[in-house]
Amino acid sequence: MARKISYRQAINEALVQEMERDENVIVLGEDNAGGEGAPGERDAWGGVLGVTKGLYERFPGRVLDTPISESAFVGAAIGAATAGKRPVVELMFIDFMGVCFDQIYNQAAKFRYMFGGNAITPVVIRTMYGAGLRAAAQHSQALYSVFTHIPGLKVVLPATPYDAKGLLIQAIRDNDPVIFCEHKALYDTVGDVPVESYAIPFGEASIVRSGGDVSIVALGRMVAVASEAATELAGAGVDAEVIDLRTTSPMDTDTVLESVEKTGRLVVVDEAPPRCNIATDVAALVASQGFEHLQAPVQMVTAPHTPVPFSAALEDLYIPDPSRVVAAVKLAMEKGS
Amino acid sequence: MSDTLEHRSAEPAELSADQLLDAYRRMRTIRAFEDRVHEEFATGDIPGFVHLYAGEEASAVGICMHLDDGDTIASTHRGHGHCIAKGVDPKPMMAEIFGRRTGTCHGKGGSMHIADLSKGMLGANGIVGAGAPLACGRALAAKLAGNGEVCVVFFGDGASNQGTTLEALNLASVWQLPVIFVAENNGYAETTASSWSVAADNIADRADGFGMPGVIVDGFDFFAVWEVAREAVTRARRGDGPTLMEVKLTRYYGHFEGDQQTYRGDEVERARRDFDCLKWFRTRVTTNGMLDAAALDTIDAEAAALIDDAVAEARSAPLPGREDLETDVYATY
Amino acid sequence: MGSSAVGIVANPLAGRDVRRLVAQASVFPNSEKAKMIQRLLAALGAVGVTDAFVSTDVGGISAAVLRSLGPDPAAGRPEWPTVHFVELERYSSTAADTAELVGAMMGAGVGAIVCLGGDGTARAVAASCGDTPLLALSTGTNNVFPEVREATVAGLAAGLVAQGAVDATTVLERDARLEVIAHSRVETALVDVCLTRAASRGARALWDVGGLTELACVFARPDAIGLSSIPGLLCPVPRGAGHGVVLRLVPPRSAPAVVRAPIAPGLVVEVGVASWEHLHRGRPHMMGTGGGVVALDGEREIELDASERVQVRFCTDGPVRIDPSATLAEAAQRRLLCTLPAGAYGPGLPPSNDTP
Ligand SMILES: Cc1ncc(C[n+]2csc(CCOP(=O)(O)OP(=O)(O)O)c2C)c(N)n1
Ligand SMILES: [Mg+2]
Repeated sequence: MARKISYRQAINEALVQEMERDENVIVLGEDNAGGEGAPGERDAWGGVLGVTKGLYERFPGRVLDTPISESAFVGAAIGAATAGKRPVVELMFIDFMGVCFDQIYNQAAKFRYMFGGNAITPVVIRTMYGAGLRAAAQHSQALYSVFTHIPGLKVVLPATPYDAKGLLIQAIRDNDPVIFCEHKALYDTVGDVPVESYAIPFGEASIVRSGGDVSIVALGRMVAVASEAATELAGAGVDAEVIDLRTTSPMDTDTVLESVEKTGRLVVVDEAPPRCNIATDVAALVASQGFEHLQAPVQMVTAPHTPVPFSAALEDLYIPDPSRVVAAVKLAMEKGS
Repeated sequence: MSDTLEHRSAEPAELSADQLLDAYRRMRTIRAFEDRVHEEFATGDIPGFVHLYAGEEASAVGICMHLDDGDTIASTHRGHGHCIAKGVDPKPMMAEIFGRRTGTCHGKGGSMHIADLSKGMLGANGIVGAGAPLACGRALAAKLAGNGEVCVVFFGDGASNQGTTLEALNLASVWQLPVIFVAENNGYAETTASSWSVAADNIADRADGFGMPGVIVDGFDFFAVWEVAREAVTRARRGDGPTLMEVKLTRYYGHFEGDQQTYRGDEVERARRDFDCLKWFRTRVTTNGMLDAAALDTIDAEAAALIDDAVAEARSAPLPGREDLETDVYATY
Repeated sequence: MGSSAVGIVANPLAGRDVRRLVAQASVFPNSEKAKMIQRLLAALGAVGVTDAFVSTDVGGISAAVLRSLGPDPAAGRPEWPTVHFVELERYSSTAADTAELVGAMMGAGVGAIVCLGGDGTARAVAASCGDTPLLALSTGTNNVFPEVREATVAGLAAGLVAQGAVDATTVLERDARLEVIAHSRVETALVDVCLTRAASRGARALWDVGGLTELACVFARPDAIGLSSIPGLLCPVPRGAGHGVVLRLVPPRSAPAVVRAPIAPGLVVEVGVASWEHLHRGRPHMMGTGGGVVALDGEREIELDASERVQVRFCTDGPVRIDPSATLAEAAQRRLLCTLPAGAYGPGLPPSNDTP
């Protein structure tokens, strides 16, 4: 049975259901409950945006607040994972990866391969990314491409409440380290989510809208931007297919290539700056493996090559919007014809 | 006798009337600024995350009174007070908080990234624990130049648990750098009590492990902060290395604007009533005849007017536009 | 007579003042204070004290003591007295906490109080413990009133005194004190009172003698550390002399007498003395005008108005101090800590006084 709940609630529900199913699942992070050692309410926050609220009461001893020591507690989650726990550790903002990156990319990412396949590291690092909240340069980045670059990490970017729940459940059950990227502007979006537990396999893109004229590949919050553009384009007589990658590692290359084979045109929408991002990666994939199907140069809609600006006036220009997608599609349509 | 030590500070032992007025003006301006930002935020016109410094004024001012423009400070997400104490103009600060082109960072930084390098204010910082290593670098440059400049890094109790901070404490001691580490312990990192998160009785106790002196100071009392800072700065200028000062105080507002603060007790109410740094300062300087109340009242009125103007100007200032988006980067694509 | 309960007060704040920066004062960690309390408890238990009232603090001392009670703190440790934690509803982190804690312990009927801290802590305890015997243990290198002594030995002495096992007249001594009356408050000092021209209390701990104008001491030992070393080296006054001493201080350059005095650990400074005289009971000494700050036992405490004067009085009703050396000497004489087989004395075991 499905009902409408928010992206935030969907994540919370996935955590509840997995914690009930498997007592090895533990949750830790800064203020994930809140009020530790303080005179007032315990579980005061449930994470800075309330995503883990309520878990503390429900699962005594399994929700841990931490000092502001990301290297230590993200590393500890990774260490606990090697001992059979299934920690879901929160790195509050993806921007903070800098203070704990070694534990992620030199440690967690490497164990399985480097130890000859003898180790598993079932840790989930939940982290919030993206622009739109006027949170400025150090709290707004879309750094998922950095993680995608690293063999050994799985990188997940749910775009809807439904995907958030199913992908998080899969992430927790997965035996590899997973970077679970939540867009901070999506928490209040609402969608149909089944009550029962379900897992969405990694490496399966979803075709959000099918169409025959152009393939728009997007991820995370950009899926909604692409979809909005597609609706507008439909009015202008362009039938766009919108693909949500859902996971950038592993990436569903087949779905992308098949779509381009059908449409002959590719537009990629990525909230990250333009160099070495997911857009360039998808473009390279199609250029190298689907070149013969392309009827026009690939168009990439990305943020500019700048830090994220604070002022609303600038941030709104920074974030790719539907009009830029529409313009890119039009360019792709013109060039090939 | 040769082993007799005549103890002398490089700076005068007491504050002149002008200095006292200056100190009061800086503290009052910070309070007026923060109280006003609190109100303006409630109107919905200030975007983003805003962390207010109200209640902690004696710390920033008691320390910055010893610094010149050549000296530098590294700050935190709760940086407005550090800026004003270091001499940054409140008007472009307010404009920055409103995201205007006339702001200190032309609207690109916001509350969490206000900086004014001309005043030696190296920037508020969104990354907890990021300031201390940077301060070591500034101090290293000063030491190599032999110019006697010092760098102060402000950080919170929460940041005291960050590896970057602890590594910097060690490095500063190993290199004997002119850094003053100021741990502003306001009892909380977000909702988490420092009595829980800091696994030592005091942050200052950690100084021993890094081979530097550690001092606890009452952060409600400007004079207490001022005196300890004078010694720490003198020591740094003399080339005797870093000091860790733990300043105990209370933040009057939530962690950020919008925080419901259900985790707190009634410490704010009590602090406002019994220890408020501005009240305390006023009582002291008027009862001992150092200043008269009228002079302080004038400053109160001037600070209020300054902030009124700052808000009015910020609100009517232009926003940055498309032409500003891709400036200040070395390449565009 | 006698009580089988002892109070223990530890000050979590002592030991991190500006002297760590301007001098080479030691640092006394709270973890060590907690260990001292555990050693006290062991000793109290050994001499039969059944109940110990321990102050609760927010600096981690009582928390460490609680942990040392093992997994079931309520059950306690068999070799220790039952530990009762005395809690305040609210902590102000000032001397008022100490006074309230001591009051609660007195209410519980303790027969002795041991305090851990510096002169300031001892002062706060002494001001509220009335005639209850007090043993002040120093936590640091900067103190005159509290003794530097192993807590285990102090615990034995305090336990014996509390239970009335030793003769009070030989092991207890009533100290003198200075009463300081400023217009709005009455305070006590156990060692010294001074007036400094400082504008404010500043960082509290007094370490700069530059602004000192007057100094009064209850007693002055030549081997003291702190301000009382100034008269201590110039015109010593033993404890129990029945009078104190007052000095007028001036800059060394213009002074008839200059003393090189250890006014803080690592700080030996030249102090100019213009004159000195004894301070007698019933003849109050007036200090001040022109403002300034009065420091009590080395802490700048009372900020004066420009016109305000303070009265300093020598009083003989100070705290009742336990002399641990005398206590244990008497314990030895009475064989209080020994078990002797009746009538049988081995080689090298001398007969006791009361056995023929
Ligand atoms: C590396 C990093 N981790 C976490 C955060 C989120 N965060 C911002 S402020 C804060 C609390 C900081 O506490 P403290 O250092 O005590 O400073 P205060 O807010 O009390 O002034 C946290 C956890 C951050 N900005 N950077
Ligand atoms: Mg804090």
